[in-house]
Amino acid sequence: MKRALAAALAVGMVIFGVSVYQILDSLKGKPPGTHRPVSGEHAAVALPGVMYVTQGGALYRFQGGVFKSLTKAEGWTQPALSPDGSQLVAVRRYLNHSDLYLLDTNGHVIRQLTHNASGIVENNHWSFYPRFGPSQTLFYSFDPKDPSNNYRVDLAVYSMPLSGGTAHPWTAPNHYTGGDVAPIPLKSGSLLYSKYEISDQGAVYSQLWIQSRALASGAPLTAPEDDCGQPALSADATMVAMVCSHPQAGNTTIELAPLLAASFRLGPRQVLATGPLVAAPVFSPDGTELAYMAPDAGGGFQLWTVGLAGGGAAAPSPSASPAAGPPRQVTSGLAFDSAATPAWAA
Amino acid sequence: MEIGGIRRRRSRYAPEWTRREIGMVLAGYLLAGLMGAACFFFPLFQTAVTTAASSGTLPNPNPVAVSSAPFTVLLLGSDDDSKFQSDRVLTQSMILVRVVPETKSVTMLSIPRDLWVPLPNGSKGKIDAAYSEGGAHSAIQAVESNFHVKVDDYVWVGLQGLVNVINKLGGVDVNVSNPVMDDFYPADIGTTNPYGYYRVAVLPGPQHLDGIHALQYVRSRHGDLREDFGRSFRQQQVLLALKAQAGHLNAASLPEIASALNGEVKTSMGLDRIRQLLPLVNQIGGPNVKQIVLLPPYTAEGMIGDQSVVLPNWDQILPLVRQTFP
Repeated sequence: MKRALAAALAVGMVIFGVSVYQILDSLKGKPPGTHRPVSGEHAAVALPGVMYVTQGGALYRFQGGVFKSLTKAEGWTQPALSPDGSQLVAVRRYLNHSDLYLLDTNGHVIRQLTHNASGIVENNHWSFYPRFGPSQTLFYSFDPKDPSNNYRVDLAVYSMPLSGGTAHPWTAPNHYTGGDVAPIPLKSGSLLYSKYEISDQGAVYSQLWIQSRALASGAPLTAPEDDCGQPALSADATMVAMVCSHPQAGNTTIELAPLLAASFRLGPRQVLATGPLVAAPVFSPDGTELAYMAPDAGGGFQLWTVGLAGGGAAAPSPSASPAAGPPRQVTSGLAFDSAATPAWAA
Repeated sequence: MEIGGIRRRRSRYAPEWTRREIGMVLAGYLLAGLMGAACFFFPLFQTAVTTAASSGTLPNPNPVAVSSAPFTVLLLGSDDDSKFQSDRVLTQSMILVRVVPETKSVTMLSIPRDLWVPLPNGSKGKIDAAYSEGGAHSAIQAVESNFHVKVDDYVWVGLQGLVNVINKLGGVDVNVSNPVMDDFYPADIGTTNPYGYYRVAVLPGPQHLDGIHALQYVRSRHGDLREDFGRSFRQQQVLLALKAQAGHLNAASLPEIASALNGEVKTSMGLDRIRQLLPLVNQIGGPNVKQIVLLPPYTAEGMIGDQSVVLPNWDQILPLVRQTFP
């Protein structure tokens, strides 16, 4: 009897020791967890229309508050919708290059649009930030090679016919800055994009830039000290949203301004959202709200929206339309690719 | 047996317990609990032993008592792939960090790796060679003698160590300053050919980076107008982001972090200092963080023989260091 009890006590001691280990393990601070959306997963809030987002290299459709997985995790990022919403162009990223693909809205590849792969590492190319332009053209950022210095790799904005053919440069990037990104072709034929520059003091910054034709010098829409990039354009092309960085304050802001395209200027800017990191703004198709990405308390970049009083359809005016209401969190527990602005259609 | 004044009849099946037996059982449970705790904290002990052993003659160059007194740490980062003998690596990254617990402020000063200075062995050379000549002791000597500062502690981290610790923290949230493009980024982690390379494109804007992509961001320099200075800016930025990410750590997290860093970190910092730093991490930020990169006029590019170097302008540097690292 005593022997059995001793054995039971010994087992109890082992269990106690393991429990101490597990209790200590449960006390350690853990990084917040995230998961991939699964088809049929519901978000806290439904958004109007249909939105395409990427996470971990997979493309998802978000419609009626429900996610649907469209592709496997194969390096997909930066989806862009055709003007009629019937097709997508997205980037597929590999180790040394990326290519643009035309897809249907169910994520099936229709055609490969660029061919950037090479067996020699430094002869590969990148294509990023695709956007449909007027007259069946496609605008995107591409890295042309500098024959005199193969260390220089700066993205420049190019355009190409959607049906294929020769691509033409639209911008001349500042050397050794990373270049020009996030092009948005305007119906007027002008181009809006982010241009990077490095000051003599070594400060790196981005400016919203507009130019009327290919390889024109263009003009800045924002000041260097504002460090604004990631432009988004309302459906009626009257309002611009952008992300501006404020390192001293330790935050970033999403700001809204009327686009006075004829005079190559922005109207007065208004802050819509502030946070340590806010990114990837996109207007709703009806211009009544703006979606963006920001990490929540659980980590990972989530979708948020903020209402726009009067919508983005207001004619350019001296003052920007005020935001209506506080930011609203749409998703949680996910980890969207915040370098990929969502594509949002009616 | 009499309990509370009531005499009870002992069951004939109940064993008799002597004080000695009860003591043995309690001691057994205590020992089991201690064993559980020891297993949990084992990676920490292991790292502490490794650290003390690898520090060689330098367990702590300038020991200071754990207190609220300001202290200066030299952060060293090296390419420790198989191109180099493990004890002969250069330090691609050297950042002096001064922490003032009382004011919860931090100053970071990046030292250009190509800075041409007198080295502890009596020769002149790039400051990144000091570590390869004589380890952390030599690197500290080079910094102390040239910058006229007192270094209290050092931390050296290898490439894989940085990747591991960022991954253990769940990645890091960074506002990527610009497109960081590099067609000749070294493919020297987890490979048999340390001379290989691949292409890197870290796209701009706020995003979440895992260890490998964060390393690409802080290590790439070929496509940056500012070259080494550019990545110094980025290294300081990621350090601050790591500080924010480490906010959820506590003492119970240390074994896992130590396990991730095992063999990829060397430090003179004791556990007491690290434990003292953890609660401070959340409190430091915003205007209390000062970042310094020694761009011109503090330095100038130059050539010594066939070497491209960074020449110090000590008349500019030393007053700045006296002011920020008193």
